[in-house]
Amino acid sequence: MEIDPTTKDVRDMNDQIPQWPLKFLRAVCPDHLIEEIEGDLLQNFYKDHRKFGQRKARLRLTLNAIRYLRPEIIMRNKFSFQLINIMMLLNYFKLSLRNIRLSPLYSFINMFSLTIGLSSCLVIYLFISDELSFDSLHSNRSSVYRIYGVPHYSGNGTQKIALTNAWTGPSIAEDFPQVASFTRYWTQGKMTFTNGDDHLLINSVAAVDSTFLNIFDFNLQSGNRATALAEPNSVILTESTALKLFKNTDESLGRAITIQDTEYKITGILKDTPENSHLRFDALLSISTFGKNKMFSSTWEGSFLNTYLLLHDGADNKELESKLSDFWIRHTGIKDPDKGTTLQLQPLSDVHLQSTDMDHDYNNYRKFNGTYLKVFGITGIFILLIACVNFMNLTTARASYRWKEVGIRKSIGAKKTQLFGQFIFESTVMALLALVLAMLLDLFLIPFVNQLTGRQLLLSSLFAHPIQAGLLVAVTILLGLLTGIYPSFYMTSFNVTSVLKGGIKTQGRSIFQNSLVVLQFGLAIGLIIGTLVVTRQLSFMKNTDIGFTKDQIILVGMNGEVNKKLEVLRTEWLRNQSVSGVTASSQRLGTNLNGWGFKVKTDTGIYNFVPSNLNVDFDYLKVYGITLNDGRDFSREFLTDNGKAFIINETMARELNMKQPVGIPAGQSWYENDSLGAIIGVAKDFNYNSLYSKIGMLAIVCKPEWGYDEISIKIDGAHAKEIIPALKEVWDKNITTYPFTYSFLDEHVDNLYKSDQQMSSVISITAIFAIFISCMGLFGLVAITMNKKIKEIGIRKVLGATNFQISSMLSSSFTKLILISFVMICPVTYYLLFKWLESFSYRITMSPWLFLSGGLITIIIALLTISYHTIRSARENPVNALRYE
Amino acid sequence: MGKEYLGEFEELVLTMVGVLQKEAYGAAIAEEIEKRQDRNINISALHVTLYRLEDKGLIKSAFGGSTNERGGRRKRIYTVTNAGFVMLRRMKDGRLELWRLIPQLKMSGI
Repeated sequence: MEIDPTTKDVRDMNDQIPQWPLKFLRAVCPDHLIEEIEGDLLQNFYKDHRKFGQRKARLRLTLNAIRYLRPEIIMRNKFSFQLINIMMLLNYFKLSLRNIRLSPLYSFINMFSLTIGLSSCLVIYLFISDELSFDSLHSNRSSVYRIYGVPHYSGNGTQKIALTNAWTGPSIAEDFPQVASFTRYWTQGKMTFTNGDDHLLINSVAAVDSTFLNIFDFNLQSGNRATALAEPNSVILTESTALKLFKNTDESLGRAITIQDTEYKITGILKDTPENSHLRFDALLSISTFGKNKMFSSTWEGSFLNTYLLLHDGADNKELESKLSDFWIRHTGIKDPDKGTTLQLQPLSDVHLQSTDMDHDYNNYRKFNGTYLKVFGITGIFILLIACVNFMNLTTARASYRWKEVGIRKSIGAKKTQLFGQFIFESTVMALLALVLAMLLDLFLIPFVNQLTGRQLLLSSLFAHPIQAGLLVAVTILLGLLTGIYPSFYMTSFNVTSVLKGGIKTQGRSIFQNSLVVLQFGLAIGLIIGTLVVTRQLSFMKNTDIGFTKDQIILVGMNGEVNKKLEVLRTEWLRNQSVSGVTASSQRLGTNLNGWGFKVKTDTGIYNFVPSNLNVDFDYLKVYGITLNDGRDFSREFLTDNGKAFIINETMARELNMKQPVGIPAGQSWYENDSLGAIIGVAKDFNYNSLYSKIGMLAIVCKPEWGYDEISIKIDGAHAKEIIPALKEVWDKNITTYPFTYSFLDEHVDNLYKSDQQMSSVISITAIFAIFISCMGLFGLVAITMNKKIKEIGIRKVLGATNFQISSMLSSSFTKLILISFVMICPVTYYLLFKWLESFSYRITMSPWLFLSGGLITIIIALLTISYHTIRSARENPVNALRYE
Repeated sequence: MGKEYLGEFEELVLTMVGVLQKEAYGAAIAEEIEKRQDRNINISALHVTLYRLEDKGLIKSAFGGSTNERGGRRKRIYTVTNAGFVMLRRMKDGRLELWRLIPQLKMSGI
């Protein structure tokens, strides 16, 4: 049927052709076929339009167009872009493999350093993310705050105290509407749990408010979250505690159990506290049980528990904090702000990492110095940077070996971008390969690191989140791209003709390469100096005279019964030849001692202040080897020595500013002014705290009636562990209500510096890796340089240079570079280390020798590394080099 | 050659190209098949078949003139190649030979 193409009919229809099916067709169909296909479809459209009308015609056109989405059509497209690229990538891959095979040494150095760099980075990343994950299981994390106090005591400087009294929490919740809830956490220490005839000592028991499980999302297996701790005499056990007492956890719920002397009902079973929670406990008691307890209800005396607040969404913690000083005055009536305590709020997320300056911070499991995470992050980046430098330097230095390849590719028509792409692709493949190897290496490395740092890091946690795993690959690819850019740029930048003529092969090292070497060794030297200073400081702390004996002292926990039988135990233990002293005290040295109010009678009247305080047994000073500057030790001969005699330390004597403190009337703050005792001695200063803090004022009293918390047993001879069974035997014969538990004082003191110790080991390992990687790079670089200088060396030898002259000439250029990096890194390192040392009250001074030896070690290692090549080149017969000239 | 076979639809399209001669292009072939064989043709299937036949060297194509009726698009006119004719003939002969082998049926009921 003939249609007149000019009819108005057709022109009208043109307006009604739906456009998107045509667009779709153009996207799907090959270019050389589209015209015909469209033509046929349109022809059908016009026909349909006349036959069925507009609507149906449009529909049919659309349907027909969609039907072109079929492989027979799509595959007719020339996938010029993608297809060729895939082929090219395969070719590139082949080329990189060939390149690896042709120069195994350099490829090995490249791969190996990248692998080490990446694997240490991974470990550091795991460590950091583990630390950051602390307390993250609580969904309220962002609105939970721990209250801490900053008491204004004269004498001991500003202290942050993690504890509050029992009254603070409930009163704040009552006074401030922005506080949604509060809970107190009062540790009871070790407690004996009795189920029938079973007596079991449970390590850490805490009493908490019924809101505890609303604020913290600990996983309750059975029992009611809201009410489990509401009633007095309720207890929640963790799974492992329950299993110690009962056959299975189901059986235990609802049962009665005796804890110390009180009956409790088990109202819940909790999953064991996770490793990354700052609160660790084996059982929770309802704090309402202690409502009648004297110490608990006299809410004003002392601070002994942690208080956590849950704020309402959107409540401003800073605003609340600013109102707390008013609150304090309102409730205590202490008008003078210098005498009171400022209450402050610490976000839950800061508790684990930002509490290094917090005192009395007993409930902070695995507390870590958060600023060290930055140190770790920086060292991780350093080591990766060093590895990248190797890659860039070696690839660039090796460029001359590939110029022929580049030249030929260029001359047969490769575009610069293609060549560039090839080299970038190679470096990316290397980086990804290194990532795989790094993971394999970490399988072995991580258990070792875990042992060293007491962590439970898992490589598999990297794959817990797909985003994290993707990010890891993305970062590695980015690393490959970045490290590949310079060498690729360098290798593609040559003129084809000069490359093929072989003209520029002898080019020396560029400024860029040299500065990379300087950077690399600078970082390595910095890490080495850092390691030296950190280990020096740590050994200083370990060996410094802290003023009392910490070795060969066994600490044994005690309760009321043990206090009563202390004399019996002492007598029996002392019969053992190896036991040279037995004493007891209210607190352990090396923890922050509690501050008690103290008063001294001076000429002008009574002087009140709050020094640290220690209640000790008579033989304490003797056992701990604390020496007296003046006066005498406590003695059983004087009746008044029981509670009315005080030994103060030098610092306190100095603060009191008295010529002759011995004999001055003094007493605890609650002693009546007319019934004071007297200062009987001045002890030489000793570090009763960690070496982070300066020695403050200390008053020691001896009053057995107040009871002690710990027995200290001094052992003679090195084999402390062998004496334990003998000690235990005596214990078991005399003590029925409390099991024998012991620890060693030196271990406790070492624990104070655990964060530092761990940081030190991480830095030492990275420093070793850093110098190792740097030297490997240097080794490769020197090999390449020697190759280029082979003729020069030959000529020099022919002209009469000795082997020694030649090898020192060859070494000198690298030595210069390392010297430059040493000079440049020193100020930075000094500054950073100075900052770190500042956190210690007792610290080493950084002598220039430390720095010089760091630099010297590096230079020696570097020279040893390159000596293989320099000596070999120098001894080479010049004939071999010059034969073909 | 020789081992090349054609599918039923391919054979039909190839024959139609031979039938339509100078008017053998996509839409016309489809229309013709619809008219004479009373079967609906999916135009994309037709195109795919045409390209396949061209790949096999049985037909060849060249652009013809454009008309407004096709929105200004040119037609692609297909012609049967010699190989195509050989193939058509061989298929016809093959069919006829088989047809002859069928025992002659008696028309019953006459």
